[in-house]
Amino acid sequence: MPTLTVNGKEVTVEKGSTVIQAAEKLGFDIPRYCYHPGLSIAGNCRMCLVEIEKFPKLQIACHTQVQDGMVVKTESDVVKKTREHILEFLLVNHPLDCPVCDQAGECWLQNYYMKHGLYDSRLDEDKVKKSKAVSIGPTVMLDSERCILCSRCVRFTDEITKTSELGIFNRGDHSEIGIYPGRELNNKYSGNVVDICPVGALTDKDFRFKCRVWYLKASPSVCTGCSMGCNIEIHYQLERKHIAGGDRVMRFKPRENEEVNKWWICDEGRYGYPFIDKNRIHKPCRRVPDPVSKDGQKDMSPIPWDKALDMAAQKIKEIPKDAWAVLASPQMTNEELYLAKKVFGDTLGLAISLVSPNREGYSDDFLIKADKNPNTRGAFELGYNVLKTQLEEMVRKAEAGKIRGLYVFGQDLYEFLKPETAEKIFGPCELLIFQGTNWNPTAARASLVLPSAVFAEQDGTFTNFQRRVQRIFKALEPMGESKPGWEILAGLSERAGRKLSYKETHEIFDEIAAAVPVFQGLTYTKIGKKGAVLA
Amino acid sequence: MKVVAPSLFSPDIQEQVAKIVAQYERKQAAIIPLLNLAQEQFGYVTPEAEKFVAEYLEVPIVQVREVVSFYTLLRPSPPGKCRIAVCTTTGCALRGADKALEYAKKKLGIKPGETTPDGRFTLESVECLGACEFGPVAQVNDTYMGYLSEQTLDRIFQNVGPDREDWCAEAPVVETPTGEPLISRFFHMKESHKLDTYLQHRGFEAVKKTLGKMNPDDVIDTVKKSNLRGLGGAGFSVGMKWSFVPKETSKPKYLVVNADEGEPGTFKDKYILVKAPHLLIEGMILASYAVGIHKAYLYIRKEYQFPYERLKAAVDEAYAKGYLGKNILGTGFDLDIVIHRGAGAYICGEESALLESLEGKKGLPRLRPPFPAIVGLFGCPTVINNVETLSYLPFIFDRGYEWFAGLGSPKNGGMKLYCVSGRVEQPGVYELPMGTSLRDIIFQYAGGIAEGRKLKAVIPGGISANILTAGEIDVKMDFDSLKAAGTMLGSSGVMVLDDSVCMVKALSYATKFFAHESCGQCSPCREGTGWIHKIVTRILQGKGKPADLDNLLDIAAFMGGNTICAFGDAAAMPVTSYIKKFRAEFEYHIQHKKCDIENADANG
Repeated sequence: MPTLTVNGKEVTVEKGSTVIQAAEKLGFDIPRYCYHPGLSIAGNCRMCLVEIEKFPKLQIACHTQVQDGMVVKTESDVVKKTREHILEFLLVNHPLDCPVCDQAGECWLQNYYMKHGLYDSRLDEDKVKKSKAVSIGPTVMLDSERCILCSRCVRFTDEITKTSELGIFNRGDHSEIGIYPGRELNNKYSGNVVDICPVGALTDKDFRFKCRVWYLKASPSVCTGCSMGCNIEIHYQLERKHIAGGDRVMRFKPRENEEVNKWWICDEGRYGYPFIDKNRIHKPCRRVPDPVSKDGQKDMSPIPWDKALDMAAQKIKEIPKDAWAVLASPQMTNEELYLAKKVFGDTLGLAISLVSPNREGYSDDFLIKADKNPNTRGAFELGYNVLKTQLEEMVRKAEAGKIRGLYVFGQDLYEFLKPETAEKIFGPCELLIFQGTNWNPTAARASLVLPSAVFAEQDGTFTNFQRRVQRIFKALEPMGESKPGWEILAGLSERAGRKLSYKETHEIFDEIAAAVPVFQGLTYTKIGKKGAVLA
Repeated sequence: MKVVAPSLFSPDIQEQVAKIVAQYERKQAAIIPLLNLAQEQFGYVTPEAEKFVAEYLEVPIVQVREVVSFYTLLRPSPPGKCRIAVCTTTGCALRGADKALEYAKKKLGIKPGETTPDGRFTLESVECLGACEFGPVAQVNDTYMGYLSEQTLDRIFQNVGPDREDWCAEAPVVETPTGEPLISRFFHMKESHKLDTYLQHRGFEAVKKTLGKMNPDDVIDTVKKSNLRGLGGAGFSVGMKWSFVPKETSKPKYLVVNADEGEPGTFKDKYILVKAPHLLIEGMILASYAVGIHKAYLYIRKEYQFPYERLKAAVDEAYAKGYLGKNILGTGFDLDIVIHRGAGAYICGEESALLESLEGKKGLPRLRPPFPAIVGLFGCPTVINNVETLSYLPFIFDRGYEWFAGLGSPKNGGMKLYCVSGRVEQPGVYELPMGTSLRDIIFQYAGGIAEGRKLKAVIPGGISANILTAGEIDVKMDFDSLKAAGTMLGSSGVMVLDDSVCMVKALSYATKFFAHESCGQCSPCREGTGWIHKIVTRILQGKGKPADLDNLLDIAAFMGGNTICAFGDAAAMPVTSYIKKFRAEFEYHIQHKKCDIENADANG
């Protein structure tokens, strides 16, 4: 393994590493535009030029492989002067329309200008005119004048999605990113080109002009769209109610995890955030008039949490245990699933089973999994039977009139049962309790609705299809009066005579680690932000 | 192979399509040939042709469009019946190209890039056509028309169609005025492009002496000792370059011949292709034998229509008579040659850009390492040599390396084809011993300065070379001497400027060229070339500012040396050297908003 010196500090790196990687290891951040660790090396922006002893010219750090004894300087006068000039070149034909550019605030032309530029403009010529605000597909807008032709987006569609929608046309300073006339950038991962675009050339139709990025806060999380568990950041804002109708979450961005999603997420996941703010169940409610009417939500009347939980506990007692069906969901966290089993199974003595639609959704050999739930694997590891036959059995039992009480966690049974089948279940049922985050037809059929927090409003863990346990973090307060699912379960447990002492979810997780062998030794700290694989 | 859109081409053309594709190890390499073919058939690259090429060759259609948009000779829309492309780069500009273009604009009533309303003429202003010796030159459809004047242009306007003699074939080549002509012996010889003629003049003697008789390693060694240097411009030791190719490899090795002669002021390879194609073929066989190559690609610029036809005929003849193909002359050595035509892009003369282009992509230079000797064409070890370089090989093996090395100056073996153009009495190609003085080339061989004017400056090695003043011409024209003099031999394109030439204007020819030809890959070059040209144009228009010159020098300083290929350096050199050596003239322009040269038109 070669050892080299960067800015006077020695570092030993793997053979074949590049200077930019070696410098990174020492904490030296060499500016770059075209370089992206997930893509091939293009070497065209020239921003990462550094001084290397014995080389007559400056070398690009992204392509130059380290050699033993190399002496690199990333902050020498000539390097800094060159960087300043490279920035100036990149800005020669750039429109400098920052005030109306959606990238402002997260633009690497702005960032590097402040850090490495700060020269006075000496440009006195007309700029090359190119196309602006061009829709190149369902998700992305292109502004060619802002583009610095780093080719990251082209390499992404060539190398990652292998769909090759994008190209660079013409040559010289008339070069321009584009798509073939009549085609679209419409692959399942198109939004990623916006993330990797270092400037305002590619912006996200969903996000542009919604919120200035400096109003955003970010919180790490995990996408709940499928069993891949892609690592994400939730970008939200709370202070400006006039933005996006008062919604809190503005967008999801991928969060790098070499073991899971690298730098990417799919569009389905990326644009799957609206449920956090839309159509939420704000308060516990009961159906008035009782029994069931078909008007759904309109017949619901809010009641205080205490009353709601009392009612639930009372009803659970009234209906015989063997006439209950408790349907857990692979959308629940490990902590919730564990606790649901403890409360319904151990304490209340009811049969709890996992209902998973198991519909084969779209999948590919990259990030998108057919199982559209984040925690099917977690449920399995916690002892839930995740077979499809569970559901069929329950339907048979219901048809036989043997189900009088139904406790549903979040899922909409109408989504995976035919309406007449669902009717066979709900019809004879005396009591349907729905504990979930959003209104759906099943919630609307319920006699009692207990609002729970979404994943972005609580701590917890999911186990992805690789058996990797990954943490989610509370980014937002639970909406309205909703509570994290584990708190609701603790409330039921208390009313059933067994008070639980948890104050935070890590206590539940520690209990899981002690009780379930494959979780043994894991803690929230160990899992960290990148996850840990089960034993 | 999947056959799509069968109706696009007629059955016989379809057969041609299949043949073209079959020539290449990777079918994507056929993108440009098929687009050229489609353009021949339909007049331009139709969307249907793009679709056909993409599907037939299994490449993304966006790549096809990238290629169409990159190369100037591929047209996305129909041109007029007669396309008149007037060269306006330095060589022709020094001989009145601007006037010719003005006349054409006036007569046709259109601007460059436009087509007359009746669809008869398309006028274009193009960069160097490689025919500076006839400047000003226009390409009229496939044919070159030289010595453009109002009269010749009128002839073109009255007589649409490619029915004229190709001027290139009747070139006023000047034979070696001293010593023994080597390559140029064929230049004035009748039927010199025929195999029989070549055989009568020791043709293929070198191959007979070498193939199967010399060990390939000794062949490489001999070339090293001959001091033959790469004559495309880089001047690297040819034998050394060959020795970098791995001996043992599971991959095929390729020879790629660079006949993309595009450096403004350079037109020597064209003569070899037209007058001595078998010499080149023999050189290719020798090089291939030395390195263990059995497949050669010859990349020729698209503008060279007539040279292509000559070359094609020569290759066909060599195949027919056993000088190419399997078991050449019974030696057991095989070599196939594929001629690959470009589509209009100077950068493709850069060896790695040429490889990209040959593989069916835009001509974007590659990052190095790896070098082509290790990872070249189709990812395989590749030797890339210039036409002239290869054409000297037969002499070395027929007559010995000592003799060859002795012809030139130390470490610069042999002879050299010097291209002389601009304001001299007799522009042309002169074959002289390597290291002949620049003064002698201009005054002794090229007849001195035209119209009895005074020498002002010389560009010694193509547009990319630093300019020399009249006082700096006592320099040997070889790689090492010119390097020591702060410039370069480059492609040995000598462009002569007399005292009537405005240096600001001269610089604008160069900056226009580089701005037009930058591939656009690296930011300093993509943005710098255009920016520089805009500033120079502004000075020329009388709108210069005092800070402009220092800004130009600073921009050039940071554009040069900071890019993937040498184009950035090449584009910087004229800027730096013209301004440094003729600063007073530039300052006068800025201060007085006009040129200080009598009769020079400061307004361009």
